[in-house]
Amino acid sequence: MLRLSIKSAQDFAAGLIFVVTGLAGLWFGWNYAVGTIIRMGPGYMPRALHVILIGIGLFLIAQSLVVPGEAIRRGRLRPHVFILAAIILFGLMIERFGLIPSIFFTTIVASLASSDARWVEAVALAAALAVASALLFVKLLGQPIELFSWNF
Amino acid sequence: MEIFQNLAMGFGVAFTPINLLLCLFGCLIGTLIGVLPGIGPLATIAILLPVTFGLSPAGALIMLSGIYYGAQYGGSTTAILLRLPGESSSIVTCIDGYQMALKGRAGSALAIAAFGSLFAGCVGTILIGVFGPALAKFSEGFRSPEYFALMVFGLTAAVILANGSPVKAIGMIVFGLALGLVGTEAQSGTVRYAFGIPELFDGIDFVPLAMGLFGFAEMMNNLDNTEQAPVKTANIGGMTPNREEVRRAIPAVLRGTAVGSLLGILPGGGAVLSSFASYTLEKRITKYPHQFGAGAVEGVAGPESANNAGAQTSFIPLLTLGIPSTPIMAVMMGAMTMQGIAPGTAIITDRPELFWGIIASMWIGNLMLVIINLPLIGIWIKLLHVPYRLLFPCILVLCCVGAYCISSSTFIVFLMAGFALIGYLFSKLGCEAAPMTLGFILGPLMEEHFRRAMILADGDVTILVRRPISAVLIVAALGVVFLIVSPSFRKTREVAFRE
Repeated sequence: MLRLSIKSAQDFAAGLIFVVTGLAGLWFGWNYAVGTIIRMGPGYMPRALHVILIGIGLFLIAQSLVVPGEAIRRGRLRPHVFILAAIILFGLMIERFGLIPSIFFTTIVASLASSDARWVEAVALAAALAVASALLFVKLLGQPIELFSWNF
Repeated sequence: MEIFQNLAMGFGVAFTPINLLLCLFGCLIGTLIGVLPGIGPLATIAILLPVTFGLSPAGALIMLSGIYYGAQYGGSTTAILLRLPGESSSIVTCIDGYQMALKGRAGSALAIAAFGSLFAGCVGTILIGVFGPALAKFSEGFRSPEYFALMVFGLTAAVILANGSPVKAIGMIVFGLALGLVGTEAQSGTVRYAFGIPELFDGIDFVPLAMGLFGFAEMMNNLDNTEQAPVKTANIGGMTPNREEVRRAIPAVLRGTAVGSLLGILPGGGAVLSSFASYTLEKRITKYPHQFGAGAVEGVAGPESANNAGAQTSFIPLLTLGIPSTPIMAVMMGAMTMQGIAPGTAIITDRPELFWGIIASMWIGNLMLVIINLPLIGIWIKLLHVPYRLLFPCILVLCCVGAYCISSSTFIVFLMAGFALIGYLFSKLGCEAAPMTLGFILGPLMEEHFRRAMILADGDVTILVRRPISAVLIVAALGVVFLIVSPSFRKTREVAFRE
C-alpha cells in the first residue's frame, strides 16, 4: 500500500495557500456577474483566475506528497515580530501623536529586531531619524503631517 | 536627422539644474545601494516612490532610473573588492573580479568594469533612442489581441527567470493577477474584493505592495541570517589597466554590450540575466580557459558591460509598449502612473520631452557614474563599515512615512505590514515575489485587453492565433512553456541558478 506523507513541506504549504486563496476568492466573489465570453462581467476574470489558482495549488499539494523537496527553514521569531510591530506601531501612532513621537518610538521598537541592539545607540538613532524625517518630509517635501499632536 | 533634433530637445530637458541634480542624486543613491549588500534597486525605488510625488514626471523618472543603472556600477565595486555581490547582477563579477583583486589588479578591474559599463550604457541609450520610436511605430497596429498575447508571452518568460519551481512561479503569477483585480471594475463599476474599505476602491496601491514584498521581506531575511561577516577590503592598487588587459577587455566589452542589449529587451530579461549570459559566452569562446575563475579580464569586462546594457534596454518595452518586462520596470510603471502618465505607445508622440529627456539623462548619468565610482571609491568602501543594525531602522522609517504620505492614510501603512508578512512567508516557501508583482501590474490590463479582444472576435478565442503578430507571440509563449517542461532545459536552468 502506498503511504502518503508530505515530502516537500515548502510545496505543500505553498499549494495550501494557493488553494485557500482561490477558495476565498470564489467565495467572496460569488455575487459578481460572470457574463459570457463576449460580454465578460466583472466576475469572469476573477472566477477563471481563482479556479486556475486552486488547480495549481492542488497540483503542488499532490506533487509534495510524491516528489521530495526542501523543508521550510525555521527562522528566528525575534526580527519579524519587532519589524511588524514597529510598522503597526507607526500606523497606530502617527495620527494620534504626530510625526516626531511616532518615528522616535518606531525606531526604538525596530532596533530591537536586531539581536545586537544597543540602547544608547537606538535612542540616539531614533532622535536623529525623527529630526531628519521632519526636515525631509515636512519642511523639504511639504507633506501635511503634524509634528506633534494629541488626537483621541 | 530627426534623432539629433530629438536628442537635442532631450538634453535641453536633462540639463536643467533641477534635473541634473536629480540625476546626480539618483546615481549617488544607486551607487550607494549597489555597494551595500542587502538592499537592492527594486526595494530602493519602491521606497523612494513617495518622495517623487512632488517632482515633475521627467524629474521623477530621471532620478528613479538613475538608481537602477547606478546600482549596476556600485554592485561591481563590492563584487571585485570583497567578493560580495552588492547586487544580484554582479554575482558573476565576484568570480574573476575578486581573483584580479587578489593579484593586486583590483584598481584595474574596477576601471575596466566602470569604462565597460560606460560604453555599454551609452550604446544601450542609443538603442533606446533608435529602436524605441521604431518599435512604437510598429506597435501602432497593435490591438487588444496583440497586447494580450504580448503580456502572456511576458509572463511565461518571467517563469523561466524565477528561481526555483516553475509551478510555484506560475502560481505566484496567477496570485498576482487575481490581486490586481481588487478594486472598481472599469466596465461595470462593480467594486470587487474591497470589503467596504474606501482605500481599496481604486485597487491595491502599488507602493505598500512593493515596499512590503521587496523592502521588508528583504530586511526580515537579512535579519534572519545571522551576523554579517566582518568587512575586509583588498588593496585597490593602480587604476590604469595595462596594455594586455585593455587588448583583451575591449572585445569582451563589445560582446557583453551586444548580449546585454539583446537580453534586456526581452521580457523577463534585464540586468541579472544579461550578466550571467555574458559570462557563459566569454567562458565558452575564450582562448585562455584556464584563466577563468582565476582572474580573467574578460570575466569582468563582459558581464559588467552586459548588465549595464541590459539595465538600459529593459526600458524599451516600458517606454514604447507600456508593458513592464521586469519587476523593476513594473515599479517604474507604477511611478509613471502615479505621475498621471499612461505608459504606452503614446509617450513618444505625446510626451517627447519626457522620453528624450530620460534618454539624455541616462547619458549624463553614465558619465557621472564613472566619476562617482572611480575617484571616490574610498568613500563607498567606508560605507560598508556601517553596521546593518543602524541601517535597517532608517529604511523602515522611510518606508512607513513614505507609505503614510501617499494618501495620508494609516490603512496603507497596515497594508504594507500585511505585504511584508506575505512576502516573508512566500520567501520561506520558495515562492518568488517578482512574478507576482508582474502579474499584479498586468492583471487589470490583461482583463481589459482580453475583454476587448473577445468583443472584437465575437467570442472566438482563435483570434489570438489568427492575427499574425499575436500568433507569433502565442507561439513564442508556447515555446517557452515547452522549454520549461523539457527535462534537459530544467537541468541547465538549475545549474545556472546554482552558480
